[in-house]
Amino acid sequence: MAAPLELSCWGGGWGLPSVHSESLVVMAYAKFSGAPLKVNVIDNTWRGSRGDVPVLTSEDNIVSQPAKILNFLRKQKYNADYELSAKQGADTLAYIALLEEKLLPAMLHTFWVESDNYFSVTKPWFASRIPFPLSLILPGRMSKGALNRILLTRGEPPLYHLREVEAQIYRDAKECLNLLSNRLGTSQFFFGDTPSTLDAYVFGFLAPLYKVRFPKVQLQEHLKQLSNLCRFCDDILNSYFRLSLGDG
Amino acid sequence: MSLVAEAFVSQIAAAEPWPENATLYQQLKGEQILLSDNAASLAVQAFLQMCNLPVKVVCRANAEYMSPSGKVPFIHVGNQVVSELGPIVQFVKAKGHSLSDGLDEVQKAEMKAYMELVNNMLLTAELYLQWCDEATVGEITHARYGSPYPWPLNHILAYQKQWEVKRKMKAIGWGNKTLDQVLEDVDQCCQALSQRLGTQPYFFNKQPTELDALVFGHLYTILTTQLTNDELSEKVKNYSNLLAFCRRIEQHYFEDRGKGSSSIRLP
Repeated sequence: MAAPLELSCWGGGWGLPSVHSESLVVMAYAKFSGAPLKVNVIDNTWRGSRGDVPVLTSEDNIVSQPAKILNFLRKQKYNADYELSAKQGADTLAYIALLEEKLLPAMLHTFWVESDNYFSVTKPWFASRIPFPLSLILPGRMSKGALNRILLTRGEPPLYHLREVEAQIYRDAKECLNLLSNRLGTSQFFFGDTPSTLDAYVFGFLAPLYKVRFPKVQLQEHLKQLSNLCRFCDDILNSYFRLSLGDG
Repeated sequence: MSLVAEAFVSQIAAAEPWPENATLYQQLKGEQILLSDNAASLAVQAFLQMCNLPVKVVCRANAEYMSPSGKVPFIHVGNQVVSELGPIVQFVKAKGHSLSDGLDEVQKAEMKAYMELVNNMLLTAELYLQWCDEATVGEITHARYGSPYPWPLNHILAYQKQWEVKRKMKAIGWGNKTLDQVLEDVDQCCQALSQRLGTQPYFFNKQPTELDALVFGHLYTILTTQLTNDELSEKVKNYSNLLAFCRRIEQHYFEDRGKGSSSIRLP
C-alpha cells in the first residue's frame, strides 16, 4: 500500500472533476474506498496514448479500463463493497450491465454522434487537450468509435442505419433512468448509507449527462425531471469532490 | 420500428386473442442451430409455456433471414411477426398476458437489470465461444452454420457471420479477451445469478417471470450442448441451485405437458 497510485484521466469542466464517464467512475470509487490517488489531468503536453484513458499506474503495474482498475484497487485492500451482502453484490453486477446496455448507447450518441453537440462542445473540448496534429485526428476517431459501437450493438444487420436506432436508444435510456430512479427511491445511496461500486458507476454515467451544457438536450431534460437522481449526483459532488472543483 | 409503427402494432395486437396456430421459427435443430440461437429460442418457448400460450416450433434453414430483425427466434401470430424475447414479451403483454404484473417498481427494475446481465455476459460469452475461439469455430460452428447450403455458399456465409461477430466483439471491448477471461466472466455471472436466486424456486419467489425463462434458456442450453470441451458447462455446474432451477422448469413446463426437452446433440 506504500506504492503511490497515479491516475491519468481526462480533466473536468462544468463543475465536474472529469467530463469523461470512465474516468469519473474510477475517481468516485477511489474517493469512496479511501484510495490515495494522485490524479494527473491530461492536457496537450501529456505524452502518452490517449486511447486507454483512464490509466492507473503504480510501481510496476499499468492498468486500464474501469472494471480492471477497480479490481486492482480491491486487491490493494481499497474495497468500497465490504459491507454489501452477496445478493447486493449480485445486484451491483446486474445494474452495471443495465447501465452499459441501455444508457451507454444514448450517452455516446449525445456526446459523440449528435452533430450539434459534437461540433460545438465535445470536439473543441477534447481537441484543446490533445497536441497538434493529433487534435485533428483523435476526436474524429473517438466519434467514429462511438458510432460504430452504437450501430453494432443496436443496429440491425446487414444495413446499419442510425436513424432507425436513434429513437430506440433514447427510449431505452429514458427507461433506464426511470428504473434507476425507482430503485434509488429516497435513499442516499443505492445500498444504505455508504457509497459502493454501483454508486460510483451510476455517478460516473449520470454526472456528465447532468452537468455538461449541450445544445441538444433531450436526455438531459429527462434526467432533470428525476429529482432524486439529480440530488444523488449533487450530494456526491458536494461531499467528495468539493475541494478539487477548480474550474467551473 | 418507429414509435408510431410500434404503437399501431400494439393496437392491433390488443385487438385479437392468441390464435391456436401461432408458430415459432428457428433454425434446423439437429444440424444447423448454434448454442446462442438455441438458448434464445428455448427462452422464448419457456416464456410462452409459462404464459400458457400454445405455440408450434417450426425449423427452417433460412429462419435468420426471415426474421424482421435478423435474429432468431421469431413468432408468427395472426398476421404479425415479432422477433427476440424483449419485443415478444411486449407483444404478449399487449394481448393481455404478463408474468411480471405482480412485481412492484423496484422489483421490475431488478428484473430488467438481471435480464441485461444475462444478455451482457452470458450471451456475449456464448457468441465469443462460438465465433472467436478457433477450436470451436473450426470443429463445430463453421460446419453447422453453413450446413444447409451448397458449396461455396456455406463457407461464404460462415465467414461473413464470423467477421460480423468479431467486429461486434471488438467494438464492445471483448476483442482482446482470452478464453480464460471469458470463462471467468461466465463464472461471475453465474455466481451473481446463484446468489440472487438463493433458495427460492424462482427469481421472484413463487411465480416465474420472463427473467426465469431467459436464464433457463441460456443455462439449460449450456448444460446440454456438447462443445469441444466442457469448461463452459462446468462453470454452471458449480452452482447447485442453478441446476435445480433448470431441472424444476424443465419438469414443470416441458415434460409435464408432453413436450420433449430441446436438448441438441452434436454429431
